[in-house]
Amino acid sequence: MKTHRRTILKGLGGFTLALPFLEGLRSGGTARAGEPLIEPFAIFLRQANGCASEQDTEIGAEPERFWPSQQGEITPETLAGRALDELVDHHQRLLAVGVNAENFDYGDGHARGAFQGLTAIGPVVAGAGGDAEANGESIDHRIGRELNPDGRDSLFLYAGRNTGWLGGACISYRGPGNRRAPLHDPMTAYQTMMGVDGEAISEQLIQRRKSVNDLVREQMDALLASPRLSGADVQRLELHRSAIRDLEDTLACNLTADQEAMLEGQAANFDSDDGDQVLAAVRAHMDVAVLAVACGYTRSVAIQLGNGNDGTTRFSDPDTGELMENYHYISHRRLSHDSSGDIIPNADILHHKIDRHFAKAFKYLLDRLQEYQLPSGTLLDSGLAVWINDQSQGPSHSSRNLPYIIAGSANGYFKQGMYVKTEDDSTHCRLLNMIGTAVGLRSADGGDLDDFGDPGLPKNPIPELLA
Amino acid sequence: MLQRHVRVGMLVLGLAASTGCYGGIHDFGKGDGGDAGEDAGEDAGEDAGDDDAGDDGLGPVDELPAPTTRFFRLSHTQWESTVQDLLGLPEPTGLSSEFRADPNVGGFIFDNNALSLEVDGALWSGYQRAAVAVAEMVAADPALVAAVAPDAADEATRAREFVTNFGMRAFRRPLTDAEIATYVALFDDGQTLYEDTTGFEAGVRLVLEGMLQSPHFLYRVEDSEDVVGDVIPLDSYEVASRLSYFLWNSMPDDALFTAAAADELRDGEAVRTHALRLLESPRAQAVVERFHHQLLQVDKLTGVAPSPAFYPDAPANLGALATEELVRFLQYTVFEQDGSWGDLLTSTETFVNAELATLYGVPGTFGTELTRVDLDPAERRGIFTQIGFLAANSTSAYPDPIHRGVFLAKHIACQTIAAPPDNIPPIPAPDETQTNREAIEALTEVAGSECVACHKTLINPFGYPFESYDATGAFRTMDNDKPVDPTSTAVLPDGPVPVTNALELADALAADSGVHACYAQHWLEFAMARPHADVDQALTDRLATSSLDDLSVKELLVELAVSRPFLTRSPEEM
Repeated sequence: MKTHRRTILKGLGGFTLALPFLEGLRSGGTARAGEPLIEPFAIFLRQANGCASEQDTEIGAEPERFWPSQQGEITPETLAGRALDELVDHHQRLLAVGVNAENFDYGDGHARGAFQGLTAIGPVVAGAGGDAEANGESIDHRIGRELNPDGRDSLFLYAGRNTGWLGGACISYRGPGNRRAPLHDPMTAYQTMMGVDGEAISEQLIQRRKSVNDLVREQMDALLASPRLSGADVQRLELHRSAIRDLEDTLACNLTADQEAMLEGQAANFDSDDGDQVLAAVRAHMDVAVLAVACGYTRSVAIQLGNGNDGTTRFSDPDTGELMENYHYISHRRLSHDSSGDIIPNADILHHKIDRHFAKAFKYLLDRLQEYQLPSGTLLDSGLAVWINDQSQGPSHSSRNLPYIIAGSANGYFKQGMYVKTEDDSTHCRLLNMIGTAVGLRSADGGDLDDFGDPGLPKNPIPELLA
Repeated sequence: MLQRHVRVGMLVLGLAASTGCYGGIHDFGKGDGGDAGEDAGEDAGEDAGDDDAGDDGLGPVDELPAPTTRFFRLSHTQWESTVQDLLGLPEPTGLSSEFRADPNVGGFIFDNNALSLEVDGALWSGYQRAAVAVAEMVAADPALVAAVAPDAADEATRAREFVTNFGMRAFRRPLTDAEIATYVALFDDGQTLYEDTTGFEAGVRLVLEGMLQSPHFLYRVEDSEDVVGDVIPLDSYEVASRLSYFLWNSMPDDALFTAAAADELRDGEAVRTHALRLLESPRAQAVVERFHHQLLQVDKLTGVAPSPAFYPDAPANLGALATEELVRFLQYTVFEQDGSWGDLLTSTETFVNAELATLYGVPGTFGTELTRVDLDPAERRGIFTQIGFLAANSTSAYPDPIHRGVFLAKHIACQTIAAPPDNIPPIPAPDETQTNREAIEALTEVAGSECVACHKTLINPFGYPFESYDATGAFRTMDNDKPVDPTSTAVLPDGPVPVTNALELADALAADSGVHACYAQHWLEFAMARPHADVDQALTDRLATSSLDDLSVKELLVELAVSRPFLTRSPEEM
């Protein structure tokens, strides 16, 4: 049995993680005695339907309610009154970027936004609309595949109804047309990460697991040895074989019993239309994500809230406590089935309120990451939290000026405390390559990542974003 | 109305006429494809009399299997039913609720696309935890231990027989000598590897953990490789698994295993006997229901919420009631009446309680339970004039001819309709001088617009006949104080058909060879767990011909199960 040196990190809020240093999980480098090593990571939070920013719609002009009041340095004053002011406590660690994505022919604006959001690539079949699939790997999966121990899958977490437009979970891809399944229940995500179902780790347990795993691996190897297998079958069997985990790879860092009970309570209604319940599940997913990156389980987590057009989630109006109309209808400013069939009154303000819900959820993530003090800063400083949106605005489905709100610098890669609205085309693909570089992906020659996304798009860094 | 904008992918306004929005209708019934009543074998080139079945008992030789995976991972539902049957449990364990859900696949209606059923780290973890939990449960129950490992002359013999016999059922084929030796060794190891279980039970426990995580349990593995003619015949164990997972969604029963052991399942007639037997079970009813649940998008019924302002008397649980009605209708029509797809499309029978009876306008006194009734044949005909389809494809205030039309065109007539362009304008607020139909026409059928090509010809005509039913599915003749106009000319696969209402449209669907081909195609996809391929067309056409001639749904499933594509593999790998 491998030796574990344990370091306890006490979070400022009393949220304690026992953070082991497991030799088996290091990726390259040599150990520094007594020091836990946090490799750069990225946690993505995805929102659908754009934000309530300045725009002209067919029912009138709407003022700016999302972005800071001016580009450049972010201050409490530039954030005041905007949805991003929910993040004022973290304003010095924010990098708010408006990026421009592509007009790929997905046949539907929601498909175009959701499928290229983490892939920067077009469809497998053009114009397929609701039947579309992305034609490439997503950055969260790429990070996991290249940087996680043994190429372990990155975590893909989902909250809300996992049905409906675009088939529910739709932002994370293993490869062309190969959409990943998410972990829907945060408790299942936690158990998946732990690898041990509440059992004490004994020599007998280790031996049982090893005996079974070794036997299953032999059987998989025998199946894979057949020369007649198709490439697709080989790929699926290899994925399965690589998924088998021995107990030596099991995380010894875990939540306390009370924390697990709290997680279970938050996670209870992950499959809901009620926005408050869905947001609670998102926070539970975020707790799992923080644990996962802190413990070295994964370098990448993607959290998706709502389906392809988030047409089932109904968020609450914080001013009235009532559930609003579903988010998708609000984003289009119109309602098809009330007694008038008319526009939703003040739909732009309701959209702004939904933006604030997401901002608060993002703040929860940042608060959790900030709680952990490392010698070089906080856990947040070691990585990136990225709040992304499929579209810039709801009525137009536009792919220009997409809000990508980054927090954390990944150990000094990204500029902090700034708002940058990019004007060039294809800055979305360039930003995804920068995120990959920041987390640790490299090109074939060891330089910055420069091969992610559609082959025809530029990949060079955006200088204004670099620290 | 907003719905057309917000569900833009389904709205399918289509491309400009010059690029076309329409394609993919199989030219069934035209040319040499095999019109109704013609021999299926006219193109076979074999001297086989009325059909070209060849002499291997596997059906027409021109019906060839498409390349497919050799590893069909159990779906989560199949995992539950298989574990239940393997252990003889009275009910499923429920452990699959902790498995991560499988992803949806764009363009495939059903949830069993074999190539998308993978085992990633998250699912492996679920399987591992579930195997440990099942093994622990069995080992702690003397009755279960006795059931999986009956007494023998001595413990060594008992262990070996347990591994051999339980293993055969778990892997759905006899274990090799090497596998038996491996699991017997695992049994021996297990006897000292548990703190809370010792002896024989501990050995059983570890073997169960091992077998339930084996790829031979988690996948239906098809190993056969000997090419005979144009195909690779499956062995009897592989056929037994294909058959039971198709018709019961679970592992083979003892009778199938016995037949497989005697190698009796290489012949179509033997398979037919077992298929008919399996169809007599309630398990087959659940499979038929699951197929139609997905084909007819029954999940949409959970979102049915008629506006209280428009429909103050609509039941709050309309979606649930309509779902139950559909389930009863399917069971009755398919299994009690031996009904066909044509019967499902045109039947005037259904099941109602008091609330549904009110909506349907059925006279009489009804309680809370659903009972069979005859609907007014002047108002209702078939599954698409039932409340479920109508209410699910409506807003909470108005019927939705576009979504009703798209659904019928794409999923019932198998027409390919392109996605609409981006940034289509939202639907304007209703004009009180217009009927719903007039509002849709004004928006989508303007001459020279990019909408008219698809909407006027292909989409809207499938939806307008259902303007005779409001958003709750109740029959109506007036809309905004103007007469409802349910006439249209629907472009069916066999050609345009003018209809005066939904009743005639139902009859037209039931009489169209392409509609029957579409239904057969969907069943083939469901049975084979893969998309329809060009090579499937011969079988689909034959099934469609028979279905058009009133072949029952049950018989259609039997014909699938005894077909060459079902009983063999392609020599070409995926």
